[in-house]
Amino acid sequence: MRQVWERLKTNRGREATAGYLFLSPWLIGFFVFGLYPMVMSLYYSLCRFDVLRVPQFIGLENYETLLTADPYFGISVWNTLVYTVLRVPFAITGSLLLAVLVNQSVRGVKWFRTAYFLPSIITGVVLSVIWLWLFNPSVGLVNEVLGWFGIAGPLWLQSPDWSKPALVLMGLWSIGGARMIVFLAALQGIPDHLYEAVEIDGGGAWAKFRHVTLPMLSPVIFLWTVLEVIFSFQVFTEAYVMTQGGPLNSTLFYNLYLYYKAFDDFEMGYASAMAWILLVITLVVTVIQFRLGKRWVHYEGGV
Amino acid sequence: MSGFTAIAQRIGWVLVAIVTVAFLFWTPGRDVPDDGKTHIRYWYIVGAQDDVPYHARRFNEVQDSIFVDATPIPWNEHERKILTAVLSGDPPDVVSQFVPVVKWASRLALEPLDRFIEASDLDTTDFFPALWNEMGWQGRTFALPINSTSYALFYNKALFREAGLDPERPPQTWDEVIAAAERLSERGENGRLTRVGFVPDYGNLPTTQLMAWQQDADFLSPDGRTVRLDTPAMRQSLQWIADFYAAYGVDNLKAFTSGLGSADQHGFMSGRIGMAVLDLSYLEQLARYAPDIEYGVAPIPTFPGRPTASSAGSWWLAVPRGARHPEAAFAFMRFAVQKRIQLEEVAATDEDLFPANRFAATDSSFLTSPEMEVFARQMTVAHSPTVVPLAHDVFWREFFGAQERVIYGLQTPSEALQQGEAVVQDALDRASSYDAYVRANVSLDGEEG
Repeated sequence: MRQVWERLKTNRGREATAGYLFLSPWLIGFFVFGLYPMVMSLYYSLCRFDVLRVPQFIGLENYETLLTADPYFGISVWNTLVYTVLRVPFAITGSLLLAVLVNQSVRGVKWFRTAYFLPSIITGVVLSVIWLWLFNPSVGLVNEVLGWFGIAGPLWLQSPDWSKPALVLMGLWSIGGARMIVFLAALQGIPDHLYEAVEIDGGGAWAKFRHVTLPMLSPVIFLWTVLEVIFSFQVFTEAYVMTQGGPLNSTLFYNLYLYYKAFDDFEMGYASAMAWILLVITLVVTVIQFRLGKRWVHYEGGV
Repeated sequence: MSGFTAIAQRIGWVLVAIVTVAFLFWTPGRDVPDDGKTHIRYWYIVGAQDDVPYHARRFNEVQDSIFVDATPIPWNEHERKILTAVLSGDPPDVVSQFVPVVKWASRLALEPLDRFIEASDLDTTDFFPALWNEMGWQGRTFALPINSTSYALFYNKALFREAGLDPERPPQTWDEVIAAAERLSERGENGRLTRVGFVPDYGNLPTTQLMAWQQDADFLSPDGRTVRLDTPAMRQSLQWIADFYAAYGVDNLKAFTSGLGSADQHGFMSGRIGMAVLDLSYLEQLARYAPDIEYGVAPIPTFPGRPTASSAGSWWLAVPRGARHPEAAFAFMRFAVQKRIQLEEVAATDEDLFPANRFAATDSSFLTSPEMEVFARQMTVAHSPTVVPLAHDVFWREFFGAQERVIYGLQTPSEALQQGEAVVQDALDRASSYDAYVRANVSLDGEEG
């Protein structure tokens, strides 16, 4: 004890102490609200536990039940994968095209950028309620507009076949959001001389896009693909507010099922096991993306 | 470094230490006036009513030894609030709730009331049996029912007349419902439904749930260990609803109901649905939003020769585990459920409450109209919605999940019910094993013997 005190009194000791003290708000927050809950959820995933009663240790039973016996585990994984596969390309291409569009030097382009960005500031629940009405089969605007072209719109959220595509279409709303802004910034960072080089070689607009824009944007596209996959794996609000998992469990996404297990059924141990399985799935998919990324992502400095 | 800075630094360290320690041990204090009264905290849920409930106001007026401090908690957060309050070890003394008592009692979140009931003059046969039966778990009582609601068939007399049906003779059997519904329904261009006589899932009580009770469906073995969903009664109910949907077209009916809203856009109030099973509060809502509608209230239809049925969920009062003043809390609860106070409460609020005390609910001051008598009779045939206590939410999810698969024609009633049965059984097995573990390892507070 005395030695520790002596060391604290040296200049270096003082600096270190001060450093840790300044770090302490973050450190305490991380240990109390980050690391501790994570460790405990790993422990609870090996238990039956409903928060109010003592946990009952049952080893790997929760994982076994989930992977071998629970029909909704497979359904929710499938729904989440389908949603991800539909949504990520749609979101990335959409934002990219929009970014190219508002990167043109036309009059009032700043106004357009703002206009496209604005919808994305609306938060999840509000957005869900708005789309709930837009998708309404009998009084909704979407089917109304389709009707002008003589198309009898589907039941959207009330149809097991159209509910997932409907939720993907909702992503249209935030296409001009943060993603577009980052793409726009990246576009503006592309030096003009690269485009001039294409012109000299006689290339047109498509060649510029294909051989300059895309390779130069590939690190940003890659980053957003990784992020969007992770976001899509966590889809929750839309289904919770709009469909509650239905119809016919077609929107029972992984996190929604996890939520039902945790907060309707109070099976916290089971839900913790689900959370850890999702972490492993996300990790594996991200590692695969990084491996594949090496083949198509073009890093400026690395060549 | 000068001596002064060193001292200042020391003081600084001491201050940091004091603040840290204070934060670690600080708990928010409560201002309890020293007036010689026992102050109890009562959490009630704010829904339609934002005022302090009548029974709490009245209790504070009529006696001097206990003061009820009533706090509203928001409708959509009540379960989590009570959960964290119990976990914190400093819960309120009384909470009001309406989810199954067993959900909380089985998780040891509520104080058993048996010793208080025995010591009091409370006669538990004062309550409707269906409501009272919801209050216990494993032989002990955990709550007192306060208010409930009752359900009946509402039908639109004007539409009946228009369709050539006798407005004074509402359908009494499900077959009559099908026949009347067909006459009341109207189709517009391209066969789209513009008016429907009856929609099985529209209203406050799903038809298949009623049908199961009317046929005495037995969902749980007497020992509480085995779930039975695939029974003749359930197969027949699901077949009925599948046939009903098939007759109108599943998509057609879904599109129709999705266009309905609330208040005056409600299907029954807007005259687009001819019959619906609705609760007591629709009397008041009809008076407010659709005063011109000519309607009748009748017993819920059933199968020939079978008694009708209804659901008996109620609001209840209970003492969370760890409450400081359980005795005073019980005195307040006992006060709130007596006949006189229940009748005064009904008169004092503009909500349509149905007293859990059956002497209050059958009093002439409550039964002021023929409609109210229908509601009162329906309560005598009410069934407990807590069918599988340890897997309540899973059970009803699977119940309606099976129904949906049959409606969409994906499975036969038997296949759908077997699939659901397996899932509920699994959940029940897990919950039972956990329950047995806790009982073997934890001595329960207030456990006698």
